Amino acid sequence: MFDFSWNMLTYFPPGVSTYSDALDDLFRLVYWISVAIFLLVQITLVVFIVKYRTRPGHKSIYHHGNNVVEFVWTLAPTLLFAGLGLYSDEMWKVVKYSSRLPLPDIEIDVVGQAFNWHARYPGADGILGKRHARYRTAQNLFGIDPTDPHGKDDIVLTGEFNLPVNKNVVVHLSSVDVLHSYFLPNFRIKQDAVPGSWIDVWFNGTKPGKYELACAELCGSGHYAMRGVLNLQSDKDFAEWMDAKIAAKKAVLAAEAASTSSETAVPSTAQQAAASSTAH
Amino acid sequence: MSAASTYAEHADTLTHDAHSHVGHHSVSFIRKYIFSTDHKTIAKQFLTSSLFFLLVGGAFALFIRWQLAYPGEPIPIVGKWLPETFVSNGAVQPGFYTQLVTMHATIMIFFVIIPLATGAFANFCIPLMIGTDDMAMPTVNMISFWLVPVAGLTVMSGFFVEGGAAASGWTSYPPLSASGTGHMLWVIGIFLVGFSSILGGMNYLATVLNKRAKGMRMFDLPLTVWALFITSILQVLGTPVLASAAALLFVDQVFHAGIFIPENLLTPTGGLYPSGAHVGAGGGGQPVLFQHLFWFYSHPAVYIMILPVMGVVSDVLATFARKAIFGYKAMVFAIMAIAFLGFVVWGHHMFLSGMSPLLGTTFMLSTIVIAVPSSIKVFNWLGTIWKGNIHFTTPSLNALGFIATFVVGGLSGVFMAIGPIDVYIHDTYFIVAHIHYVLFGGALFGIFAGLYYWYPKMFGKMYNETLGKFHFALTFITFNLCFFPMHMIGVGGHMRRIHDPYVYEFLKPFQPINQFITVFAILMGLAQLLLVFNFLWSLKYGRPAPRNPWRANTLEWAAPAHPGHGNFDRDITVYRAPYEYASPESKRDYLPQWIRPPYIEKEKTVSVS
Repeated sequence: MFDFSWNMLTYFPPGVSTYSDALDDLFRLVYWISVAIFLLVQITLVVFIVKYRTRPGHKSIYHHGNNVVEFVWTLAPTLLFAGLGLYSDEMWKVVKYSSRLPLPDIEIDVVGQAFNWHARYPGADGILGKRHARYRTAQNLFGIDPTDPHGKDDIVLTGEFNLPVNKNVVVHLSSVDVLHSYFLPNFRIKQDAVPGSWIDVWFNGTKPGKYELACAELCGSGHYAMRGVLNLQSDKDFAEWMDAKIAAKKAVLAAEAASTSSETAVPSTAQQAAASSTAH
Repeated sequence: MSAASTYAEHADTLTHDAHSHVGHHSVSFIRKYIFSTDHKTIAKQFLTSSLFFLLVGGAFALFIRWQLAYPGEPIPIVGKWLPETFVSNGAVQPGFYTQLVTMHATIMIFFVIIPLATGAFANFCIPLMIGTDDMAMPTVNMISFWLVPVAGLTVMSGFFVEGGAAASGWTSYPPLSASGTGHMLWVIGIFLVGFSSILGGMNYLATVLNKRAKGMRMFDLPLTVWALFITSILQVLGTPVLASAAALLFVDQVFHAGIFIPENLLTPTGGLYPSGAHVGAGGGGQPVLFQHLFWFYSHPAVYIMILPVMGVVSDVLATFARKAIFGYKAMVFAIMAIAFLGFVVWGHHMFLSGMSPLLGTTFMLSTIVIAVPSSIKVFNWLGTIWKGNIHFTTPSLNALGFIATFVVGGLSGVFMAIGPIDVYIHDTYFIVAHIHYVLFGGALFGIFAGLYYWYPKMFGKMYNETLGKFHFALTFITFNLCFFPMHMIGVGGHMRRIHDPYVYEFLKPFQPINQFITVFAILMGLAQLLLVFNFLWSLKYGRPAPRNPWRANTLEWAAPAHPGHGNFDRDITVYRAPYEYASPESKRDYLPQWIRPPYIEKEKTVSVS
C-alpha cells in the first residue's frame, strides 16, 4: 500500500475537510515555486563550479559587483514572496479568523489532559452548560457550572468521538494541565490547546470514516500515545449514536436523583465542586 | 614600469616561519591554558568544549534515531549499560526519550552551534582580522568562556537527579516545564549560558568599534567580522529577554508565583497546581507569555547561529574563487536587514499558540520578507564564484556545500512562514528537516569551512587535505540522505518528539523511511570521526603551516604562522578593502590589506610592545 517516492507531495494523508484541498493546493503552489528556485540556484551553482574551476592558465576577473543586478535580485524575490504572503493570507483567514467562523451546526468542548482527549457534547437540551475554571476538579474537567441547568445533561467522552459529516463543527478547545495541540491530519487542522484559554477551531468533514486525532505539542512522557479517534458519521448514524448517549445520560441522572435524598436533588457535579472548595 | 612589481615585499608572507612569541612573557600553566585571557586560547577552549558537546549531542541524536527506527529494541552497544530509569531491557523509555530530544536540542543550540559561531570564531577571528593584539576586555572574555562548561554541566546534571533531565523540549514551555528538578537545572544553565552570550557580545562590539588597525574603516572589515559584529548586537539585545524568561520560569518553579500558570490547573498526577491557591479566583498566569519572551530571543538566536557562518562562507568563497565579494555593501546591508527583521518575526513560531490570528497575518508577512535578504546573500555568493578561479579545498567545498543546503533550508522555511501551510506542518518532521537543513546543513557546514580554513593559523599546522575532502563528501551525502526524507514524512503528518510513532495507524507505513534515515544518521555520525582524527593527528603530524597558506588578503594572514600572545610581529596599517583578488594593481592574484601601496611614503614605525 505504500510506495516510496522522492516527491513529497505524494505523502499527504487523504484530505477530508472542506478546506483540505485548498490548503494542499497552496502547499503544491509553494512546492513548485520552491522546486523552480531550487533548480535555478543548484544548476547555476554546479555550472559555475564546473566552468570556473581552477586549471592552468585560468584566471579570475577583477569585479566588485553591479548595482543594477543587485536591485533586480532584491526586487524580484520581494515581489514574489510578498505576493505569495498576501495570496496565502486568504486561506489563513478562512481557517483561523474568528470573524470568519461559520455558523456552527454543532458545538463541542474539547480539553486535553495528559495523555487523553476529552469532549463535551451539549446533551438533550442542545446547549452546553456554562463553565469556569474555578469549578474545575479532577472529576469535573470542563469546570461545568453546577448551578447552570444546561450543564446537567452534558455528555463527556474520552478518546473516541463521533461527529456528523458535512456539518460545520466548532470545537472550543482548552487544556486542564499542560499545553497540548489538537491535530487532525486528515482535516489539515491543528491548534494548540492552552490551559486558561478557550480557542475556537472549526472544520467541516466531507467523508464518513474513522480518523486519527493526535497531540502535536510535547506534553510529557506519554505524549506519543495521546491518540484519539474521530468517527465522522452520516446524519442518521450520528443522530442514533447521540440519542443512545442522551438516553444513557438520562438513566445515569435518574439513578443519581433516586440515590440522593428525596428533599434536595443535588447534582453530582455540584457535590464535587462543593467538596473541592472546602478542601481548598 | 608597472606598479605591481613593487609589491614583491610581501613575498615573505609565503615563507614558513617559526612560532612567534611576540609580547609573550612567562605565565603559569593555569594562566596560560586554563584561565587564559588570550583570545586565541579562549577560542580554542570554546572549540574544544563545543566539539565535546557536539559528540554528546550527536550520541543523543543516534539514541533518538534508533528508537524511531526500531522502537522497543535494545540500543546497540550502550543499551545494556544505561540504568533502568532510562531504559527497559536496553530500549529507550518514553520519559527518557523526551529527555533525549530536549537535551539533544539544548546541547546542540546552546552549547555547540552558538559557542562555535560566536565563541570560537568571534574570539579567534575578530582581533586577528582587525589587526589588533587582543579583545577590548580580555578578562570578561575569559569569564564568557568559563560560564559555558559550568552551564553545560548544570543542564546535563539533570540526568542524575530524581525525575531525570529537562524533558519539555528545548523550548521548555510551561506549564510542563514549571515543575521538576531537571527543569530547574535547565533554567539555571540557560541563564548562565545567556550571560556568556551577553558578555561575549559586548566584548566583540567594543573590540570592533575601538580596536581596528590603523586605517581600517568599517567598510574595510571582512564579512566575517561584519557578521559577527551584527550578531553581537543581536546577542546583546536578545539574550537579556531569554534570561528574563528563564528567571520568571524559575520563580514559577520555586515559589509557585503562577506567572505562566493559569488558575485552577491540574497537575499531570491529577492534583491542583499550587499557584492557583495564591493567585485567587479570576487571576492566573498566561502560558503563552513565556512563548513570546522565549521566541523574542530564540528567533534572533537562529540568526546568531547562521549569520557568523554566512560571514565565514563569504570569506572562504572569495579566497578560493580568487575573486572579490560580489556586492560587498549589499552583503553588509543584507546582514543588517536579516538582523533587524529577525526581531520582528518571532510570532511565526506561535501561529498555533492561540495568539490572535490577526497577529498571524502580520508575522506571516514580516517572516516571508526575511527571505529577501537571504536570497540576496545567495545570489551574491553565486556572483562571487561567477568568473572566478575556484580552488577545491576542504574549506571551499564545505562553503559550496553550505550554499547548496542552505537554499533547501531557506525554501522549506517559506512553507512554514505561510500560516495556512504551517497549520498542517507545524510540529511535524517538516520543521525537523528545516531546522537541520539550516543548523546542520547551513551552520555546521559553514563551521567546518571555517574550522579547516583557520586551522593552520590556530595550530600552526596544516590539516590533511585528503581526509578533509573525504570528511566533507561523506558528511554531505549522508546529511542529505538523512534529513531530506524528513520533509516527506513531515508532509505525511509525522509529529516530532514522539517516542513511538507506530501508535498511530497513519504513521505505520513510515517505519521503513525512519529506518533509512537512521542508517544515514549513523553513517553521518561515523563520518565525523574523520574530522576528529584529522584534527588530532594534524596537531602532531601536520605539515608546518606557512604564514599565509591560502594567499588570502585579510589581516589574520599577516600574523606569524602560529601567533603568540599579542598576535602580530609587525605594525599593521590597512590600505584597502579586504577582497582585492585579481586586482590589476598587483601581478599576483591577490593584494592583502596590509601591503603598503608604492605611492605612500614609508612611515616611521613604532614596534609593538
